[in-house]
Amino acid sequence: MTAGLARFAPAAARPARPPWPGLRLIRLHAVSRRLPAALAAIAGCAVGLRFALLWPWDSYGALQLPLLFEALAAAVIGVTAGSPLGDPERATGRWLPFLRLGGAVALTAIAAVALAAAGTGANLAGGTLDVVRNLAGLAGLSLLCAAVLGGGLAWTGPLGYLMPGAYALYTDWHGPALTTPWLWPGRPPHDAGAALCAGLVLAAGLAAVTARGARDPAGE
Amino acid sequence: MSLGITAVGRPWPGAGRLLRIELRRSAMLWLLPLAAALFYYQAYRRALALPPLWSLRAMTLQNDALLDFAMPVAGGAAWVGARESRRHLADLVAGTARSRWARQLAAWAAVTCWALAGYLACTGVVYAITARQATWGGPLWWPVAVDAAGVSVISAAGFAAGALLPSRFTAPLAAVAAFFALGFSIEAAHGSSSYWLIAPGTAVGPSAGVATFYGFLPDLSIAQVMFLTGLAGAVLGGLGLPVRAAGRRLRAAAVALTVAGLATAGTAVGLVGTARFDSHGMTVIPALHDAASGAPVPYTPVCTAGPVPVCLHPAYAADLPAVSGALRGVLSQVAGLPGAPSRVAQAAPLYTLNPPNGVSVRTTSASGGTALLLLPVPPPGQTVNGATVTPAEFAAQAAANIAPGIVAGVIGGRGRLSPAQAVVTAALLMDGRAGLATPEYSIGGSGQGVTGRPPTGVTGQPPAGVAAAFRRFAALPAAARHAWLAAHLAALRAGRVSLAQLP
Repeated sequence: MTAGLARFAPAAARPARPPWPGLRLIRLHAVSRRLPAALAAIAGCAVGLRFALLWPWDSYGALQLPLLFEALAAAVIGVTAGSPLGDPERATGRWLPFLRLGGAVALTAIAAVALAAAGTGANLAGGTLDVVRNLAGLAGLSLLCAAVLGGGLAWTGPLGYLMPGAYALYTDWHGPALTTPWLWPGRPPHDAGAALCAGLVLAAGLAAVTARGARDPAGE
Repeated sequence: MSLGITAVGRPWPGAGRLLRIELRRSAMLWLLPLAAALFYYQAYRRALALPPLWSLRAMTLQNDALLDFAMPVAGGAAWVGARESRRHLADLVAGTARSRWARQLAAWAAVTCWALAGYLACTGVVYAITARQATWGGPLWWPVAVDAAGVSVISAAGFAAGALLPSRFTAPLAAVAAFFALGFSIEAAHGSSSYWLIAPGTAVGPSAGVATFYGFLPDLSIAQVMFLTGLAGAVLGGLGLPVRAAGRRLRAAAVALTVAGLATAGTAVGLVGTARFDSHGMTVIPALHDAASGAPVPYTPVCTAGPVPVCLHPAYAADLPAVSGALRGVLSQVAGLPGAPSRVAQAAPLYTLNPPNGVSVRTTSASGGTALLLLPVPPPGQTVNGATVTPAEFAAQAAANIAPGIVAGVIGGRGRLSPAQAVVTAALLMDGRAGLATPEYSIGGSGQGVTGRPPTGVTGQPPAGVAAAFRRFAALPAAARHAWLAAHLAALRAGRVSLAQLP
């Protein structure tokens, strides 16, 4: 029975209204976006980073390793932007953009906290600030790719960026250093320009996904 | 109907048609621009910043290009591998003429073909540019073969991950896993017989500039290709093992492919365990070694004109003006004197492995009137401590390697240096820009000498008059110093010249 037909049904025959309709909506949206699996994947990233930090890496490995897990977590965030429902979902109501925004922001925050916690007490190159900045920018790239290419291919953005980012870190040791703030992983954690660029990319990604959602055909 | 008859009656045309369809629709085609951009950004720029030595560029490319292609190929293959599940087609295609394994092989082959085409195109560009710039030698194909096998196995692993774990998260996970595995294996390779040398990113030896004086030893490359090919076969064969993957005959073929692949890969790993590091800087695997392949490569050196010609291997012809210029000052002062070389020639480096991962480089001792020059490592274009080595720095370091020996051969610095000998040595090296230090640093009380060692006789508190004698002698024109040396060299070598007798 559709919502339209239910409006004309006798009051006694209407289904009982759930006690917390907002929460139910959020839960259903989260399930449709595979958020539980994404949370598990992000937890896996944090655990992987923690175990990887136990390895006695040389300078290159120690510097570039966190970026690898940040990129993977960002790719997971972008993948969750994809909807399995496609166009029909866009006609369901006014809350969808807010649900998209909330989901992306919540996952980004959770990923940042998880990765920062994984590095606590370990020799995490760049520290927490570096993790938060890098993850924010990479998540923005991932969301932008979700909006343009679809949720399934959102990973191409952050993982494609991973190589230039790792190379920028490499040039910090083997000059000439790449100093553009758009390659924020190569900049120091307190660099304002790099933080601004990463923040701009995140804002653009959030805006794109909030307004348009991921470019996904129905049925995938 | 005709399609079905053709497919059953003539399997290869049918398989070829399936492959053609997959090639037209493969997602890997759309990921090639990403791979090419990554290649340009990292591997291309790094390779072309190096001198145009085939061995140097080919072996640098072997590591970098594979890293650049790893993520797009693994992710793209996983994306294609999960296609049937993602589009909910598993039931629909179950009744088609081709078995699931055959369909998967066709899809994997399409991904791999595009990935290989992209890789070969990118590598071809670097090789074409190198062919125009290089002054000696030819392209090395073994590193290309290793990378091609590496691309194939990354594609197979990504495809298998997508087919076995169809999820939207599989593609990024496979991509990151491929990148991590490559990076980790390169970092984990230590020593000459580490099993991690089997990783495709590991070049033939610790010094990428080898295989110029001696032929390229393909031993390690052969083992790597064996391992990667075997691994790809095992992974692809594993896809055909489930009951629903194919009929009995095809599954038997899948079992055979898996077993053969595992055996080949295991054999390759075992062979790498027997590897050793040879004096030419390359890795020898006794069971795969062909003694003829590592023989010295004949060449005609390129030389400068002048009283003491400087000769380099033709591969380093571009460095000859800078190196000879850096040596000109010293050579012009000692030319024709007893003990001076009649020729300076580049020598082949001899490598010794210092466990766990250090390498020391030396050369054979000089013979006849030829002074042997060992060009320094790294070459121009590579970076040390954050700074890129320039041609001028490279030449200065080359001169600094050989000039003290040339001067010592003339002045007689093998035993204890008299104060006069130390002063003359320091002045010759200073004037030749071979140098090594300021006069005060060399002769004063710092304890450092012109050859990097405290010259006997002038350590601690130098004898009175050393600094003044040095300033006096260093102020002479080069021709005057040469003339004085020609007249008094025998006395100087015998230690019969006092500081006061120096002009």
